[in-house]
Amino acid sequence: MRRRDFLLHGAAAGAALANAPAFAQAPKTVSLWHIYNNDSDMIHLGIRKFHEAQTDYRIEQRLVPYVQINPELIRAIATGSPPDLVTINDPDLASYSSQGQFTDLTDRVAASKVIDVNKYFKGPQTSDRWKGRQYSVAREVNTLSLYYNVDMFRAKGLDPDKPPTTWSELAAAAEKLADPAKGVYGLGFAAQQSEQSTFQWLPWLWQAGGSIDKLDQPEAAEALGFWADLVQRKLTSRDVINQPQGDVMSAFLAGNSAMVVNGPWELPRFRREVKFEWRVTLLPVKDGRNIRASSLGGFHFAIPKGAKEVDGAFRVIEAMSDPALFREGWSASGLLAPRSDIEIADPAWPQAYAVFREQMKTAIQRGPHPQWSQLSRPIQTAIQEALTGTKPAAQALKEAAAKIQPILARTPL
Amino acid sequence: MSERSPLLYVFLLVPVGYLVSLIGFPILYNLVMSLQEVNLGNIDTLWRPFLGLQNYRDALADPTFRKVFVNTLVFVSANVIGQVGIGCLVAVAFTRDFAGAHFLRGLLLAAWLLPALVVGTVWKWLFATQSGVINYFLASLGLIASPVHWLSDPSMAMTALNIAHIWFGMPFSMILIAAALTSIPDELYEAAALDGAGVLARFRFVTLPAISPALLAVACLVTISSLRAFDVIFAMTHGGPLDSTNVLPLFSYQASFQDFDFGHGAAIGMFAFVIVFAVALLYVRLAYREQEL
Amino acid sequence: MRHRAPPGWAARHWPALIAWAGVAIYLFPIYWMIVSGFKTQAEIFADPPTLIPHDPTLEAFHYVLVRENILRYLRNSVMIALPVTVITVCLAAIGAYAMSRLRTRLVDAALIAVLLLQVFPEALLATPVFIIFKSIGLVNTIPAVVLATSTRSLAFALVILRPMFRQVPIELEEASRVDGCTTLQTFLQIVVPLMRVPLMVVAAITFAQAYGQFVYPLTLLSSHELQPGTVGIYGFIGAEVSDWHRVMAFASLFVLPILALFLLLQNKIVSGITAGALK
Repeated sequence: MRRRDFLLHGAAAGAALANAPAFAQAPKTVSLWHIYNNDSDMIHLGIRKFHEAQTDYRIEQRLVPYVQINPELIRAIATGSPPDLVTINDPDLASYSSQGQFTDLTDRVAASKVIDVNKYFKGPQTSDRWKGRQYSVAREVNTLSLYYNVDMFRAKGLDPDKPPTTWSELAAAAEKLADPAKGVYGLGFAAQQSEQSTFQWLPWLWQAGGSIDKLDQPEAAEALGFWADLVQRKLTSRDVINQPQGDVMSAFLAGNSAMVVNGPWELPRFRREVKFEWRVTLLPVKDGRNIRASSLGGFHFAIPKGAKEVDGAFRVIEAMSDPALFREGWSASGLLAPRSDIEIADPAWPQAYAVFREQMKTAIQRGPHPQWSQLSRPIQTAIQEALTGTKPAAQALKEAAAKIQPILARTPL
Repeated sequence: MSERSPLLYVFLLVPVGYLVSLIGFPILYNLVMSLQEVNLGNIDTLWRPFLGLQNYRDALADPTFRKVFVNTLVFVSANVIGQVGIGCLVAVAFTRDFAGAHFLRGLLLAAWLLPALVVGTVWKWLFATQSGVINYFLASLGLIASPVHWLSDPSMAMTALNIAHIWFGMPFSMILIAAALTSIPDELYEAAALDGAGVLARFRFVTLPAISPALLAVACLVTISSLRAFDVIFAMTHGGPLDSTNVLPLFSYQASFQDFDFGHGAAIGMFAFVIVFAVALLYVRLAYREQEL
Repeated sequence: MRHRAPPGWAARHWPALIAWAGVAIYLFPIYWMIVSGFKTQAEIFADPPTLIPHDPTLEAFHYVLVRENILRYLRNSVMIALPVTVITVCLAAIGAYAMSRLRTRLVDAALIAVLLLQVFPEALLATPVFIIFKSIGLVNTIPAVVLATSTRSLAFALVILRPMFRQVPIELEEASRVDGCTTLQTFLQIVVPLMRVPLMVVAAITFAQAYGQFVYPLTLLSSHELQPGTVGIYGFIGAEVSDWHRVMAFASLFVLPILALFLLLQNKIVSGITAGALK
């Protein structure tokens, strides 16, 4: 069914229910701006169920292209006409909440019978908060793990039941799997000059024992050096510095990359495009360190300041936290529930599901920091400098640290 | 004596007034923002901390900004020379009558009619190091020993971007120059040929002077549209690698909509004004001079 | 004595051959776009690249035509582009005519102002433009988009038409004035017909630019039904996953009507040329 049909269907159902009791009020409208252009995304099921379950509110949804959600919200705020409910990307949350542009939801969440904060994974719990108060509710989460091509493993004499678990094993496997004559690279990751490269690199930084406020320390240099080394040895294509995660996955599906670091949102593509056996495994840890960490991504619901229907919007948030939605969320979009107590029985891609859920336990949020973009950009530059060989990793990171220190001094992470 | 009918003044002021009212305010808005500290907290009010020229000073002190500014100049120059130069040559080439000449000329426009997002993406695929058709052809023709890192080498990326963007804009210049070429009377060419002028001489002494006002106008327009170029670059390289293809509009967008530092973004946008003011002055001066002749 | 081989077919037709070959090479990226619409997403990124799809599929085109209803997007794009063209050509014609006849500093200032007003990237103009239309209550209407988009091509049209208007001989106007016509009549009955070809070229280009307009419709139109194709194409580009084969299928179909229009207009321009623009 197309998006519009969902609306009409919901309206008809709402109208039918509204006609029954004689003293029913006209439903109030909750405007919802979201980015889900996939017709089978769970948000449409959520809207339908919301309309069927009650008659006080009707959702009026607006689909905003993903790259435009921030500019559109900003324009709405600037003209004093924000939507009631909006979906915002994880690292951007603190920028809005620290400036008071999101409604404080702490008390509502505490009183809610549907939302139990303690059941949420640690990552989204942290990014939903700013200075002890909660300003958003995670809708879905995702993280990064390692995909690998089982057929290629077998072809090169590697055991697919024993995928790499440490960095050295990973590098060794990449070396075995790389086949320049056939245009096959061992490992792929995204290093495009955008938030994507930061998102992809942070797990390595954390697993090395480093942190964003200590980029000038050897741990960070080791993490970036590992990436640079793979590129230099041609086990990873140099083109990764121009590739977002979608392109990296395309290379995997086309058989040009034996292993890739990527997230579960790519899984729906596997239905039509994959022609080989594949599996997912946890991100390999650094030898000797054994710190398991991965990145956290996903969108959150927030109620902008000045929204007209705050109560209605919150009820929508509660409705969207219905566990029944997440089965569709997973199989249609590869999105994980932000709560550890929701587990889908018999999911699509069960092996991948188990691994990603396990990885979620160690998924760390970016920030939260109101100037996250200004922390991320020097990191992106350092990554690009190291991967192109313009500067050695340690020096690139030192310069990045110099740019980041003043920002962190003003507002620590 | 030239007519100074009052209607002419009305004719002049209506379109200009229309533009001023619809664009003047937005520019003023950005100008005011560039003098203030504007963030997500105060975007909805007009009263924000006044910073004077601090945003501009910060921009000038930023080495990335200087790189972006230079990139912008390089990008604009390459595009003007490329689009107008090649457009002129192609337009002249198509004045010869041969089978399907006009149909082919129209077909070239297909490049310019594509959405910018598609242009950027397709060229990104074409220039891909491993899976790109350009390297594939260059290698099969034996012209390169190993794949060229068009988009993953900071020193090559701008070249690749220029190729893509010139490809995108050339048909526009070509069709305008072609329209200007139609107004040159055939007698001039015949007279020149009788005087013994060859192809190149006819081009230099008949064609070029006749279309130079149009060439100037097209060059001016390409300058302005290159200064505004955003979507192709965003789709193709995101400004990377290492900001080697980052230009003023994209840098300004990053400051405003990624860093949420709107005053800073507005100030960066204002720097494009500097370039265009110089170009506009130059254009008017040159156009005015030819008016005197 | 000069010895020349009798001219063969190739010697006679080499300009055409070179032209056809040149255009074919030039348009290769377009071929790539169209062919990508017939591939699966994975094949688009295959190394080595496949010039002919290995498993061609109509899935992307089918999706775009049936599920995304590209025809509605095309209709909206035209509904925006047509009024924009009319407004722009009318305003540009009178403005360029005035600029070509008046020789004062005012014209210079006006020209500089017009050019300066064009410089700003739309991404930065979008927010204040949104504020303007919100305050007059025109947000989410086609007229708002038309008015905003008309500013885009107006400067270009003025700059292009001004030198061409100047080529209309002043004697013709003076003659008509002597005959007792007003300035307006002279303009409409003498000058404009002579400027048929340039005006048509400007109209075609304005239409194409308005057809390809993206930022203003995105900002000013929140309603799905009103959005033109340039906004619709972003519907395939999601937060993490994008359906590039559908983007290419959409773009291939999107560009067809406007390309057809231009190819048709080529013939008009040809007849304009052979009839003589300024006889």
